[in-house]
Parts: sequence; structure tokens; C-alpha cells
Amino acid sequence: MLVIEAVDLRRTYRTTTGVIRRRPLDVEAVRGVSFAVEQGELFGLLGPNGAGKTTTIKMLITLLLPTSGDARVLGMDVVSQARDVRKRIGYVFGGDRGLYERLSARDNLRYFAELYGVSGKAQRTRIDEVLELVGLKGREQERVEGYSRGMRQRLHIARGILHDPEVVFLDEPTIGVDPVGARELRQTIADLIAAGKTVLLTTHYMFEADALCDRIAVIAKGEIVGEGTPAALKAGVAEGRVTEIEVFGVDDGVLSRLRVVDGVRAVTVEERDQKQLLVVQCAADRELTAPLLAQLDGFEVGRVTSREPTLEDAYVALVGAGD
Amino acid sequence: MRRWLTVFFVGGSIAYRGLFNWIRPAMYIPTMLGSPLFQLIFFTKLGQFAQAQSRDFYIVGNSVQVCAMSSVYGMTMAVANERWFGTLGPLLASPANRAAVFLGRGMPVLANGLLVSAFTFVAGTLLLGFRPGLAAVPALALVVVVTVVSCTAFGMLLGSIGLRAKDFFFAANLAYFLMLLFCGVNIPLDELPGWMSAVGRCLPLTHGIAAAREVAAGASLLHVWGLVLTELGIAAAYAAAGLALFRVLEHESRRSAVLDAY
Repeated sequence: MLVIEAVDLRRTYRTTTGVIRRRPLDVEAVRGVSFAVEQGELFGLLGPNGAGKTTTIKMLITLLLPTSGDARVLGMDVVSQARDVRKRIGYVFGGDRGLYERLSARDNLRYFAELYGVSGKAQRTRIDEVLELVGLKGREQERVEGYSRGMRQRLHIARGILHDPEVVFLDEPTIGVDPVGARELRQTIADLIAAGKTVLLTTHYMFEADALCDRIAVIAKGEIVGEGTPAALKAGVAEGRVTEIEVFGVDDGVLSRLRVVDGVRAVTVEERDQKQLLVVQCAADRELTAPLLAQLDGFEVGRVTSREPTLEDAYVALVGAGD
Repeated sequence: MRRWLTVFFVGGSIAYRGLFNWIRPAMYIPTMLGSPLFQLIFFTKLGQFAQAQSRDFYIVGNSVQVCAMSSVYGMTMAVANERWFGTLGPLLASPANRAAVFLGRGMPVLANGLLVSAFTFVAGTLLLGFRPGLAAVPALALVVVVTVVSCTAFGMLLGSIGLRAKDFFFAANLAYFLMLLFCGVNIPLDELPGWMSAVGRCLPLTHGIAAAREVAAGASLLHVWGLVLTELGIAAAYAAAGLALFRVLEHESRRSAVLDAY
């Protein structure tokens, strides 16, 4: 059974540019996104900052109207049946904000229990259950303003699942959380799936998507550029190789020349203090070290290595292909 | 209906605790009690010095007007702070009835406004010699309740504007002093320029203060009923405008992401 369906979903924002003479500017944040999520599935929407992940999720949870296209959650239209959709979904987003700082965790949950129509009797047991699930039992009477980022994030999750929704939307839930906290949060997300929920997760952490998701859609510049299981996405670049070259002071012109070398699929740059690391995705059957170094003639070159591609490389290749 | 009422009362009270910036005693006492007290003493002494109006004119006017400390600032915070605390997104994503959520915020603000007004009246009695007849107290209390309701409704409209406007405290400050000047608190409405008194008659407080002065001077409730009903009508109009604006902004936020700061 399909729980989430997005068909050619588009969203354009109108903004202005210029200081004195303001001119309208249309920004296409989501450009024809389509995907479907089955019941009990953990579906990942993966992409860089500004790719359109949050805009897509906001349309699905009824906070934004699509400019065009259709979206249904649990068979209900997110535009015309917004209130019905809201009753049956949970929404969790990452970051420090979104909680009543001066209230305790229990009062935060009580308030949202009221908003979601959880009866007084059910509230008492349900709040204890979700506090236990997210590991905040014993700290629930403390004010949120004293919580760490990880605790806040766990409280966000508790709030999102308080009314026992069938579908949970998690928008970058581990952003800014320390590695131990993030691992605990990932376990909590896995527990949601074990409890039979359908989860749509947005993240830009490849390893997180790899560890949790049944299927992943990679989104870049508002469009889905790849979709499948983590294994299938990895297989897409498995026959290739990755050459990493340490260089100093290369500019965009050099990168453009590298990208057109025969056999090169994608080139990305990681800034590392004073040096740069060029990550070059190459076809498997080609030895490209010499032609690549030829393009770098005149620049100081450091270590050059070659390795097998990882899932992150698959992601980079997909996202980079649109550049 | 029961769900509506729990969101209205329980939800309103929890949200108020979460959003009202001055709830801690260290902030509440100087802001909600100290400031009105000094306003009362300042204008009463100034008025007595100038011999423009009777002492009670200033005591009643200021004791009623100080409810705006709660109504204007409290209600603005109770609505507009949702956006600045980042809680507007989760709130709008919930299926809760918007009228219950919005109007429920007014109940604690209303109670606080009554407390501030009552405190200032008591201070006027103890420190400045205000002595309404005992028989006048119930009618005075009723008039004050109606006026605080009206002021709170005005605060709801300001709160909704604060959802959209970036510097909403600027608007709240402006509104507070606008009411002090335009509503006949320290200057009789008839002595204000025509346009100012016309604006004052459209604001909350004006009719309530006029009614409060009359009942404090011994008039019956029946005598001021027209003023009280007008104040109630103004309350209903501002509450409806505030709720309507909230709904419009919610719709606009879905359509064009105007509240998209959460």
C-alpha cells in the first residue's frame, strides 16, 4: 500500500532582487519531484543544502502549497484534506529551535498532546511511553532551555510521535548532534520502523541514509537525480574508480578542464587548510592519472591516490552530474 | 466541543507560560507592577500639580489603562513569539482548531490584565486617597473586566501583525503609548484635536475608561450601559480582526511562505 505519493511536485518561491529598484525573481526550489513510499518503509530524501528536501517535506506535511503537481499522504490530498492529513502524520525537524524553552519537556509534550487531541487520560501514559522511547525519562521535569542539542532533538522526536501517527516525517533530525547522540537518534528512528511506522527521512549524511533507509532518492537543485536502494545506488558507480589528488591553488578554470578529460565522470573539491583535495570519479577501464596531471601542469601537486568508490562517491556523482 | 475547550483553556495556559517573556518574578514585578505603579503616581501628581482635572480622573484613567501592559505586550508575545521561538511550524502543522488556539491565548492575558489593574486601583486607594463608594465597586469591577477584554482583543490583532512584522515590539510600544494619548486616560477626549478623539473612539479603553469614571463617581451601571456595550462591540471587532488576520497569514504562509522563518 502506498503511504506517500508525490507526482511531478513543483514549488516556486517569489522573491525580490535589487536594493532601490526591486525586481521580482522566481526561484524554483522543487522542480517536478515524483516518488512513492510504501507502508512500513524508511525512505530517505538525500541531497545537499538547498536541494529542495525541506521544501518537499513541507509540502507533504501541508505547511506549503505546491505550485503544481499532486501529493497524497495515506490516500489524502495534502492541499484539500490538509487537516485530515495533519491528524495522522508526525513531523520532526532538526535544530535547536521549535520547542518552548521555558517549559519542561513534559509540558511541551502536554501542550502538543492537547493540540493533537490526545485525551487527558491517554496523555499520562503516552507521554511516559514516548519519554521512555527517546531516553528522556527522568529529565522530563527540567526546562528545555537547559537541554543539550541531542536532548532537544530527542524531544522533537517525542513530540512528533506523541499522537501515535502512522507516518513520520523527519527533516534532518541528526543535524548538529554529536556522534554518540546521533547514533542514539538513529536507533530511535530504527525503532519507529520496528514499531510499524512509515518514515520519510531527509538528510545530507550519506552514511546515515545508508544505515537506515530501505530506499533513497537523491535530490539536487530541486530534481530527483537518482533513486533506489543504497546497494543499487552504490552499484551505479561500482564499476568506476576514484582518483584523489592533493593540489595547491587550483581555480575554476582548471576544474572545468579536468571535467572534460575523456573518462572523467565528476570532479569535486574539498578545501583542506591551504591545500585542496580533488576527488575525480573516473571510468573503470581507463587509466587517467597522466592526463589529469597534465591538466595540472604548473600547479604544485601533492599526494595522488586511487581507490574503489564508496556510497558517498555515488552521491557525489549523482549530485555532481547536474552541475 | 470538549476538545475545543481543553485547547482553549489548558493549551492557552501552557502556551502563555511558554511564550510570555516576563513571567519570572524578577521580570514580572518591575514590569507588570512597578511600571504601572509609577505611571499612576506620575500622572496623578502631574495632574494635581497642573490642576487640570480631579485626582480621581487620573487614578481611574491610569488604573484601567495599565491593563494594556498585559493586554498589548502579553498578547503580542503570546502570538508573535511563536514565530521567533521557532514553534510556529509545529503549531501550524497540527490539526488543532485555530480559533481555540488563538483565543485561548487571551485567557491568561486577560487574568493578568485584571490583576495589574486591580493592583493599581489598590495602590491608588492606599497611596493617593482614591475612595470610591463601596456600592460602586461591583459595577467598577464589571466595567474594568469588559475593558480588559477589549484591550486583550486589541492585543490579539497586534499579535497577529507581529507574526508577519519583524520588529513587533516596536509596534507594541507604539500601541501602548498611542492608547495612553488617544483614549482619554490623562486628557479628556473633548480636549483632544478632532482627529485624535475620532481615532480614540475606535480604540479599546476609551469607552471603558469613561464608564469607569462615571461608576466610580456614583453612577449606576444602567447609566453607563451604552458605553459598556460599545466597549464590548469594539472587543468583538478586534478579536474577529485578529483571528481573521491569523487565518489569512496562515493561508498566505502555505501559499507564498510569508511566515517561513521557522
